[in-house]
Amino acid sequence: MLLKKNILKSISNSKINLESLFLALIVLILILICGYPLILFLYKVFLPTGSLDLTNLKEIFNSSTTFISIKNTLIIGIATVAVSTIIALPLSYILSRTDLKNKKFWKTLFSLPYCIPPYVGAVSWIYLANPSNGLLNDILRFKVFNIYSFIGLVWVLSCFAYTYIFLALNSAFDRMDSSMEEAARLCGASPFRVFREINLPLIFPSLLSGMILVFLSTIASFGVPAMIGTPAQIYLMTTKIYTLQKMGSLNGIYLAGNLAFVLLVISMFFIYLNKLVFKEKSYNLVFGKISKTSELKLQGKKGLVTISLFIIYFIIFILPLIGIIISAFTEIQGDLSLSNWSFINFHKIFFEVSEAPRAFKNSFLLAVFTATITTALGLFLGFIVTKTKFKTNKLVEFLISLTYSTPGSVLAFAFILAFGGRIFGFDFSLYNTLFLIMLAYIAKDMNVSLRTLKDGYNQIDKSLIEAAKISGANWKMIFITMWIPMLKSSIIASWFLVFMPAFSELTMTVLLTGPNLETVGSLLFELKEYSDAGGGTASVLSLIVMTVIILLNFLIKFISKGKYGL
Amino acid sequence: MSEVFFENIVKFFGENKIVNNFNLKIRNGDFVSFLGPSGCGKTTCLRMLAGLEENSTGKIFIGNKLVSDPQNNIFIPPEKRKIGMVFQSYAVWPHMNIFDNIAYPLKIAKVDKSEIEKRVNEIIDLVELSGMQKRLPQTLSGGQQQRVALARGLVMQPNVLLLDEPLSNLDAKLREKMRKDIREIQQRLKLTCIYVTHDQIEAFSMSDQIVVMNKGQIIQSGSCDEIKKNPVNDFVKEFIS
Repeated sequence: MLLKKNILKSISNSKINLESLFLALIVLILILICGYPLILFLYKVFLPTGSLDLTNLKEIFNSSTTFISIKNTLIIGIATVAVSTIIALPLSYILSRTDLKNKKFWKTLFSLPYCIPPYVGAVSWIYLANPSNGLLNDILRFKVFNIYSFIGLVWVLSCFAYTYIFLALNSAFDRMDSSMEEAARLCGASPFRVFREINLPLIFPSLLSGMILVFLSTIASFGVPAMIGTPAQIYLMTTKIYTLQKMGSLNGIYLAGNLAFVLLVISMFFIYLNKLVFKEKSYNLVFGKISKTSELKLQGKKGLVTISLFIIYFIIFILPLIGIIISAFTEIQGDLSLSNWSFINFHKIFFEVSEAPRAFKNSFLLAVFTATITTALGLFLGFIVTKTKFKTNKLVEFLISLTYSTPGSVLAFAFILAFGGRIFGFDFSLYNTLFLIMLAYIAKDMNVSLRTLKDGYNQIDKSLIEAAKISGANWKMIFITMWIPMLKSSIIASWFLVFMPAFSELTMTVLLTGPNLETVGSLLFELKEYSDAGGGTASVLSLIVMTVIILLNFLIKFISKGKYGL
Repeated sequence: MSEVFFENIVKFFGENKIVNNFNLKIRNGDFVSFLGPSGCGKTTCLRMLAGLEENSTGKIFIGNKLVSDPQNNIFIPPEKRKIGMVFQSYAVWPHMNIFDNIAYPLKIAKVDKSEIEKRVNEIIDLVELSGMQKRLPQTLSGGQQQRVALARGLVMQPNVLLLDEPLSNLDAKLREKMRKDIREIQQRLKLTCIYVTHDQIEAFSMSDQIVVMNKGQIIQSGSCDEIKKNPVNDFVKEFIS
């Protein structure tokens, strides 16, 4: 400690700027967390023995099981995009552009699935629509639904993924000057024609971007494909990577690595496409101030539209919610008789096994530390990329968006390779530690934090800081007395926005977890995967995860006065 | 071209009475300005005439045609009223080039292709945008975009041309030229025009008739001279000085 102080002192004495040194250290940490694992991943995939080896990559395309997983991934991705678009496009138009009452409330309702982990939906839909004793099938007294199918998988994915398109379109519609539509009406166009010839082309870049996001999130998803696809023998790339990695053989690891590489390439291609779309065709839809957006009058159709919205919401959200609640509170799954209702599943999970309390403790600790460290890094990185001209700024932003958009399965795999064995040749490993899981979370969620804090920095006028400098404040004082207080709401928002996904993470955790390292997500997955009696207890966990996430969402919305949260 | 008649128009936004007892007759071929401070209801009256807002009570006629009478459930939607409108924000569609923007109302009216070409090009000459047919709106200046909007409003040979503070986003010099040009085009085509503005210089330099409004009501209406010489009260006197 003393030595360190002395070194720092001598450095500051020798006129090397302490501020730059500190910031350089932050950049170094970031590169270590976000850049190093992916580089090492590529290195180990292609140079497993020190020389270029593509036999495994060829094997991916030659082996029928891996090749089918690639094909499945693409087909499921496209189908989910199609279903999501059909749900989101009319919803967004009605809730943005008509004179329906309580549009804000409806928007919030329909946005909620955005923050809820989709595996919760899988647990519920399995309860509702599994072929042997699914509740809906029992009620209809006929096996109508089989969730373990292509359609079932696409449906559950779409029930969450549509929010990407929905949110993108909402903001596009909100930004659109309604005089564009009014001008068309006055030219003689009917409302439908205005939608087709004016609205649709104008929002098209946003729609396309939303569709690409749905595709990316679908091909990267793990929980839903593992719980619904795998029993139906529909393997996606993510679930295939998981099975190959869990085989434990060296060959399995190599194949998993190469498959992960292919998934990474596909993702990067679509991210690049997304960037291209936005650069080429994004319109500036706002002109100055918008005095008042005019709305399409629904007149007599208001009742019909409201009822339709309710039915859609019931099927997408309320029905699965009811499913989870019934499942959590009944002992024998599928039996609705009054005597079957009890807290026995809650008792089972909290008092009869040790995993659940430990999982909650682990998830909570992971989420708190990830949120705190990520936000602290975000605070300084936000400063670096908005207020300094470091040569590494472009690299930093690139790495952060890279790890964010890298599918979780690939990222986790990279972290195992980078920190799981010997690190930099030193004989110490982070494999099977919560710390490694946390590093992966930080890499994944850094982007959210940085974006939030960058927004914050950009909103603060630089004269405020200049005034502080003139008053004699050094950089440390400026951080403590200026930036941090002024960025308070961004800091809080960033913390919660990282906490939520970290608390419920599944995709990366299942690859990184080990003995005694259960999290809520991984425990829920295990219950669903290995135990037949898991139904009720998995629903209890799902219910808790969902409640926590929704409460946090509204808390952050309340704290930030509606700026963040749904 | 048509005359326009507002009869006892009242407009509520929720509990607020935005326009109250609005009675006005506009002669065929007149250039009329609605002049008043912001929030006085002038734009709302214009939008009710266009059919973009619905009046709460009262009747609106364009020519002899009753276009809005809520008490008798009569409401002609905007696309059936044949009204041209120029917006403050231009509202030129960024995904269509200049020609397509201006030709849009004719395409909807299913006018012949060759006829469309002829009429659009004529209008383009009139608003001095010759040669810009293939350009995209984003590559035009604000003044040029406003000329596109004007041309689009004119090309369908509307019953009435409405202009909602069309020049307030342009710089002073350009504004002066546009004022002259708009007035000249109006007189040449013998258009019925309603012009909404809070700028008294604009109103007095262009209009045949001026309607001074405040708090949702007409305070005074008459020719430029009448209003200048005999303002009915202090509000008018102060507003036009």
